[in-house]
Amino acid sequence: MSEDFALSAANDNENDPAQIYDLSPKATHHAPKAKNIIQLFMNGGPSQVDLFDPKPVLNRMDGKPYPGNVEEIGNQSTSDIGVMMGGQYPIKQHGQSGHWFADVLPHTASMADDLCMVHSMWTDHPNHDNALYKIHSGRLFMGYPTLGSWVVYGLGSENANLPAYVVLSDPLGLPKNGTRNWTAGFLPPVYQGTRFRPQGSPILNLSRQYEQSQGATEEAETLLNQLDMIHKENRPFQPELDARIQSYELASRMQLAASEALDLDRESLKTHEMYGIGPAVPDSFGRRCLLARRLVERGVRYVQIFLEEQPWDSHVDLASTQRAACQRTDLPVAGLLRDLKRSGLLDSTLVLWGGEFGRTPTSQRSGSIYTGRDHNMQAFTSWMAGGGVKAGSRYGKTDDFGHHVVENPVSVHDYHATILHLLGLHHQKLSFQRSGLEERLTGVTPPKVIHDLIA
Amino acid sequence: MPDEGIYRVTSRLGLFIWPSLQMRRRFAVHFSWAIALTTALVAHPNPLQAMADEDKTTEGGTLSTEVERVPRRSGETGTTIEIEDAAFSIPTAIQNKCGGCHNESTQKGELNLLQSDGILRGGESGEPLLHEDLEQSRLWQVIQHDEMPPPSEIDLTGLEKEQIKTWILQNHKTLNPATKATLPSSIHDVLPTLLLRCASCHGAQRQDGGLDIRTYDSIMSGGDSGLAVQVGDSASSLMIQRIEQEQCPPRELLLKFFVRRPSETEVHLLRDWIDAGAPIGEVRADVATREADPLVTQEDRQHWAFQTPQWPITGQSVDDFVQATLQKNQLELSPNADRDTLIRRAFFDLIGLPPSVDQWKQWRESTAPNWYELMIDELLASPRYGERWGRYWLDLAGYADSEGGISADPLRPVAWKYRDYVIRAFNRDLPYDEFLIEQIAGDELTDHAMIPELTADQVDQLIATGFLRMGIDETGSRTMNFVPERLKVISDAITIVSSGLMGLTMECARCHSHKYDPIPQRDYYRLKAIFQGAFDEHNWKSFKQRKLSIGTNEQRVAIQETNPPLQKRKKAVQAEHKRMQDALVVAILRAAFPDQSEKDRNGTLAALGIADNQRTLPQRMLVEKLQTAQNLPEIQEATEILSIQKKISRLEDQMESIDRSMVPSLTIRALWDAGHPSPTYILRRGEHTQASRWVGPGVPSVLTDGKTPFYFENPFPNGSKKTGRRLAFAKWLTNKNHPTTARTFVNRVWNHHFGKGLVSTVENFGTMGSKPTHPELLDWLALKFMSDGWSIKALHRTIMTSNTYKQSSEVSPLLKRLDPENQYYSRMPMRRLDAEALRDSILFISGRLDLKAGGIPDPVSVGPEGEVNVKPLPNQKWRRSIYAQYRRTEIPTLLDTFDYPQMGPNCFERTVSTVSPQALLLLNNQQIRELSKSLAAEIEKETTIAVTDPATHPATQELTDDWNEKIELTYQKVMSRLPTPNEQEIGRESLTALSKQWNGDEQKAFETYCHVLINSASFLYID
Repeated sequence: MSEDFALSAANDNENDPAQIYDLSPKATHHAPKAKNIIQLFMNGGPSQVDLFDPKPVLNRMDGKPYPGNVEEIGNQSTSDIGVMMGGQYPIKQHGQSGHWFADVLPHTASMADDLCMVHSMWTDHPNHDNALYKIHSGRLFMGYPTLGSWVVYGLGSENANLPAYVVLSDPLGLPKNGTRNWTAGFLPPVYQGTRFRPQGSPILNLSRQYEQSQGATEEAETLLNQLDMIHKENRPFQPELDARIQSYELASRMQLAASEALDLDRESLKTHEMYGIGPAVPDSFGRRCLLARRLVERGVRYVQIFLEEQPWDSHVDLASTQRAACQRTDLPVAGLLRDLKRSGLLDSTLVLWGGEFGRTPTSQRSGSIYTGRDHNMQAFTSWMAGGGVKAGSRYGKTDDFGHHVVENPVSVHDYHATILHLLGLHHQKLSFQRSGLEERLTGVTPPKVIHDLIA
Repeated sequence: MPDEGIYRVTSRLGLFIWPSLQMRRRFAVHFSWAIALTTALVAHPNPLQAMADEDKTTEGGTLSTEVERVPRRSGETGTTIEIEDAAFSIPTAIQNKCGGCHNESTQKGELNLLQSDGILRGGESGEPLLHEDLEQSRLWQVIQHDEMPPPSEIDLTGLEKEQIKTWILQNHKTLNPATKATLPSSIHDVLPTLLLRCASCHGAQRQDGGLDIRTYDSIMSGGDSGLAVQVGDSASSLMIQRIEQEQCPPRELLLKFFVRRPSETEVHLLRDWIDAGAPIGEVRADVATREADPLVTQEDRQHWAFQTPQWPITGQSVDDFVQATLQKNQLELSPNADRDTLIRRAFFDLIGLPPSVDQWKQWRESTAPNWYELMIDELLASPRYGERWGRYWLDLAGYADSEGGISADPLRPVAWKYRDYVIRAFNRDLPYDEFLIEQIAGDELTDHAMIPELTADQVDQLIATGFLRMGIDETGSRTMNFVPERLKVISDAITIVSSGLMGLTMECARCHSHKYDPIPQRDYYRLKAIFQGAFDEHNWKSFKQRKLSIGTNEQRVAIQETNPPLQKRKKAVQAEHKRMQDALVVAILRAAFPDQSEKDRNGTLAALGIADNQRTLPQRMLVEKLQTAQNLPEIQEATEILSIQKKISRLEDQMESIDRSMVPSLTIRALWDAGHPSPTYILRRGEHTQASRWVGPGVPSVLTDGKTPFYFENPFPNGSKKTGRRLAFAKWLTNKNHPTTARTFVNRVWNHHFGKGLVSTVENFGTMGSKPTHPELLDWLALKFMSDGWSIKALHRTIMTSNTYKQSSEVSPLLKRLDPENQYYSRMPMRRLDAEALRDSILFISGRLDLKAGGIPDPVSVGPEGEVNVKPLPNQKWRRSIYAQYRRTEIPTLLDTFDYPQMGPNCFERTVSTVSPQALLLLNNQQIRELSKSLAAEIEKETTIAVTDPATHPATQELTDDWNEKIELTYQKVMSRLPTPNEQEIGRESLTALSKQWNGDEQKAFETYCHVLINSASFLYID
C-alpha cells in the first residue's frame, strides 16, 4: 500500500467509468526477468511417473494392489481402480542437470540443462473442466480472466499491430473448454486471447469473406473515412470517435502485420526441420511453435499453444497414447527451445510446459481392460525454461508412488505468482475492482512466489 | 447439574484453558451445562441476544426451546485453577495501529485487540487469531499481507511488523488457542458435520435404515438397527462405529451422493459430543432483536444510502435539480436537440430499434404541439419496449439458456419462460414492487400445490421465481454437486439480490465482516437463511427436481390436442437425421481415403459414439483421420458431401419447425420453499467445513433501524408448509421506507438513459461506492417513482420529457472546459449502439427482422472457425436478439464482439469497448455483407416503385438523380435523417467511382455503398 511505484491501468481503477483500458505498454512493479511467455499447454494431463518422475518402488509393486485407501485415488468410482502400474517407458537421466526423461521424449531430453523441472505441482480438482479453469485462471469455475489476460492487462503490448495475447489452436479442433481457456472473464474484452486460426485467414474476419475487387474496397475505405471525418468534425471533443477511427486503422494494419508474421515460408528449410515441419507427425505442432517464436519476436506478449481436445488424457492404452502425444510435440518443443536460445530470445521469453494435472500410480478400468491411468490432482510435473528461471534445476518431490507431493508443494496460485513475478508483476498489486471486490489472479489467500525457481 | 468433573483453568486475564482431550473424555458426561454457557459467552458478547426470537414452527422440533433460559454466569460452576498470569503485554504496534478500531468500546468486527482475552477469542467469526504455526496465525496473515490496517489507515512499518511477529512467536505457547478448545456443548456443535457428511442418506430426501439426522430427536431415536448414539459412550455408538469402519458413508455412494468422509477432527468432535452426554444445549439462532447490533452503529447508518430518501424542497422536476447544479458551475442546459435527433434517440432508447421511414416522417412532420410526449407514449405502448428494457433486467438477473459451469454447458430448455415473463412484466408496466415480490417469493403468494386450477397470472408468479435460478449452476454435473459448489450457487443468488436490488455489496461478508461497509458476517448468513427454505445445501434440488409442471387448463388442452402427432413425426425425422450423419462420415472417408477398409469406416462410426477420452489409440487415430479429412478443401467441396450436408440441414430445419409448431410443455423452472430448511450457520472464512454460530433469517442491519426483529410466518397456515421467509423479505425490500430499493432502481434506469448513473457504481451504494452526483434528484426520483405506484413507464416519462434529456449532445469548447466529464449533465452524452441494438437495427433496416415475439429461443450454429451465428428462420429472417439462444459457451459472435456480457453470474453494467475486431467484423463478415445487400435491395425496390411511376419520374432522367434518390432513402432508413448536401455529393461521387470499380455494375456499387453506411459512425452512434 505504501510502496511507491508508478503504474497506470493495472492498479488505479476505482471503478472510474472514464478509465481507459488499452494495450499500451505499462510499467512493471519491479524489474522483470522475462518479457514474453510461450505456454505449451499439454491438455489432458501428461503422466508424471512415466515421463519425468520415475518411481522404483512403484515399478517394483507393478501389478500389486494399492497399499493405502483406494478412495484417495483418482476421481472415478473406486470400483474402477486397478492395481499399481509401474512406469511404462525406459527412463534415464540427461545432461549435467540429471533430469529424468522417458525415452519417448528424446529431443526434450537433449535440452535438459535448460529446463527447470517442477515435480511438485498440485491442483484442486480432478475433473478436466475445473482443473483447466484452475490452471488458466486460478479458479475452478468459468468466467474468470486467464493468466494471459492478466498479463496483458498488467503489461500491455509491445506491438500495436498485433494482438497482445495470441492463441494458436490445433487445426484438428479446439481444446477441451474451447475459447474459455483464453477468456478475459470480467476484465475488459480488449485483454482476451485472440485465436489465430490455423488455416485460412488467421483472425476471424481478418480478410473479406465476400467477393469485392481491391479497387472497390479501397474506394469503400475512402468513402467511410470521408463520412467519418465529417461526422467527427461536426462533433468536436468526442474522444470515442477518435478511438473508433483508430480501431479501423489498426484493423487494416493488422491485416498486413498478421499475414507477415504468420508467413512461415520466410523461414529457412533448416529452421523448418529444426521444428519438425514436414511430412511427419510433428508438423502441425511444429508450425505452431515456429509461429510462436515469430510472434514473440514481434513483441506479442503471450502466446499459448493448444492441442485438440485432450491427447494426453490416457485412461485407456496409456503407453501408446502418451507416446503418440510425445511424438507430436517432442521435436517441435526442443526445436523451439534451441531456436530461442540461438537467437538470444530465450533470455527474455519464459517457456511453460505442462497440463492441468497428473496421473494416478494405479491403473484404471475401462470396459474390461486396465491399461490407462486416472487423473491425479495431487501431484504432477511441469517445466519452465528461459525468462529468468534457474536452468537445470529441480524443485519439489513426490512420494514413492508419485502420488502426493511430499516436499515443496507448488499450488496453482504459487505457480501463477511466480510467473507474474518473473514478468515484473506483483500478484497482490495486479488487481481489478469488480462489484466492490478487489479481484486478483491469485485469489484472496496470498500465494508464495517460489524464489528457488528463479535464477 | 453436578459440577465435580469440570476443570476450568482460568488465568487472571480471563483466559479459559481446557484439559487435554483424553482428560476431557473422562469427565465428559457432566459437562454440558457449564460448557454451553461458556461457549455462549465466548461466541457472543451478548448471550441474551443470541437467544432472541426465532420462529418455533419453522426451525424444527426440539432445536428451538420454548422457554428462554438465562445462562448462569461462568464463574458459578467448575473448579477454577489459577495459573500464573501469562507474562505478556500487547505490543505497542498493535496498540497504536490497530487499537483505534479494535478496542474495548469500538470492537470493530467484534474484535478487541487491546486485551489478551480479546485476542484469544478472535473476532465475530469466532476464529482464533493465534496459532502455533506462524503461517496459520490469522493475526499474522492479515498483517503479513497488508490486509490490515485497511487502506484508509496508516500502514504498519516493517519494524512494527517484526515486533508483532516476534511477539506472536514468543507468546503462542501461552496463548495457544488449541488449549482453549471447548468441548461440544450443544447439538449445534455437531449438526453441521452430520448434515454435511450424513444428510444425503439420512436427511430430507432419503432416510436410509430409518435414520434421520436432521434434528436432535430424530438423531436420538436412531434407526432400524437401533440407537445411533449411546449417550456418554462414543465407542459403542453405532454412529461412530459405522463412521470409523468406513461403512458410512458407504464407499460406493461417496460420488453418487456427493459426500466426503468426515475428517479426523470431525469424528473427534462427534465422539466428544456423545461422550459429553450428547447435550442438546441451550443455543438459539442468532437473529436481530430489539437491541442494537454492536457491529452496526447509528453512526454507520448516517451514510447517505442507508438513510430513507426524503422529499427535497429545492425542486419539483428533473430539470430543477440539474439546473441548480449547472448554475452553481456557471453553466446552463444545452438547447434541445433537433427533431430528427430526438426521434432517433427516443426510439433507440425505448425500443432499441430505429424508426421506420414512415414513423420517422410521421413524427418529424407532426404539427401537434405535444408531438414529443405523444411519441414517447406510443413507444412505451409498443411491444418492442419490453424487449428492450426487459433485456436490461435479464442482464441483472444473469439470464442464460444454459447452466454453465462445466464444458457440456447443459441447456435450460424452459428458461425462456422467465425471459418472456420479464418482457411481459415490462410491457404491462407491472409495478416494480410487485415485480420484485413475484421474483423473490412468487411461490409464497399462491399455494400452487393446493389449487387445482391456476390462472395465467398465478403461473407467472411461479415462473418469476426463475429469477433466483439464473446464475451459473454446475451442480447438475456428475462430479460437481458437493456442498461447496451448492454454496457457490447460493452465493451468486445472494450477490444478485444484494448488489442488484439493494445496491449493497455483501459478497465480502461471506468470509469475514465487511471491511468498509457495516455488514457483519452474520448479516450475510442471516440473508442466506432467508433463502434456506428453497436453497438448502443439505436438501439440494437436482435439475429434474427443480422443475414444476404447471399451467392453465387451456394450455393443457392445447398440448393434448396438438403435440402427440408432432412428436411422432419428430422421432421419424430424428432417426433419418442420425442415418444421414453416419452417411456423411462414410462419404467423407470414402472420398478422402478410397483405400480405407469397410471395417475401419465402421470403426470410425463406432469410435465417434465413445467419449473422446475413453477411446483406444486406434480409435483415436480413426477419429483424427476423419478430422483431417473434414479439413481438406477438396472434401469440403465434393458434390456428394455437399448434397448430404444439405439434406442434414433440411432435416434440422424440419425438426426445428416441428418444435416450433408444438405447444410449449407445462414445465417451468422455479424455486419454491420446501418448508423444512436446515439450520444456517456462519461459515468461518466462508469455508463449508468451518461452521460456527447458528443464525436465523434476517436482513442487513444497516438497512433497518437496528431495533426491529425480522418477522415472518407461513403464508398458508392451512395449506402447504412454507417458511414465508422470502415473502417477508420481499415485502421488507419493497416497503416505501426502504433506503435503497427505489434508489437503486431509478439509478439503473437513469444509467440506461444517460450512459451513467447518478451513482456511477450502480451495484454499490456503500461507503466504497461513488457518491451521487445529484443526491436530491436521486431522492426525488425514488420518491416520485414510489408515489407513481412504482410505475416504470411513468419513470421513463418523467426522465425523457425533461429538458435535461432532450438536450443536444454537442460539446462546445466552453462545456469541454467547465464540464469535461459531463458530470453536471450540461449536455446529452453521445453513445454507441449496444450489441442488441446494433444487430437488431441492421436486421430491421435490411428488411430481415421478424418481429415475432416470445417462445423457445432461436438456435445458434457454431461454424468451423468457432464463430457463432443465430440460425435464420425458414423465411430467411431473424428475430430480435433477445430471442436468440444464449448458451453461455456459444454467444453469437456479433453480439460478443460488441460487448455482450459474460454472465458470471450476471452483469450489472456492460462495458463499451472500441476494438479492431469490431471493425473487422463489420467490414469483412459475410453475413453483414449479405445484410447490406438486402438493405440495398430494399432501397432499390422502394425507389424503383417511384421510378416506374412515369408521372414523377420520366424515363429519361439522369443517373445521378437516381443516385440522389437512393442516397436520400438510405439516410432516412439508416440514420433517420436526410443527408447533408456534402454527404449527398460524396455519396454520388463515390457511387460513380464504385460503379467503375464494379465494371459498371450499379447494383454491386450500391451494395458496397450500403455496406459502408452500416460501418459509419453516423449509424453506430446516437447523438
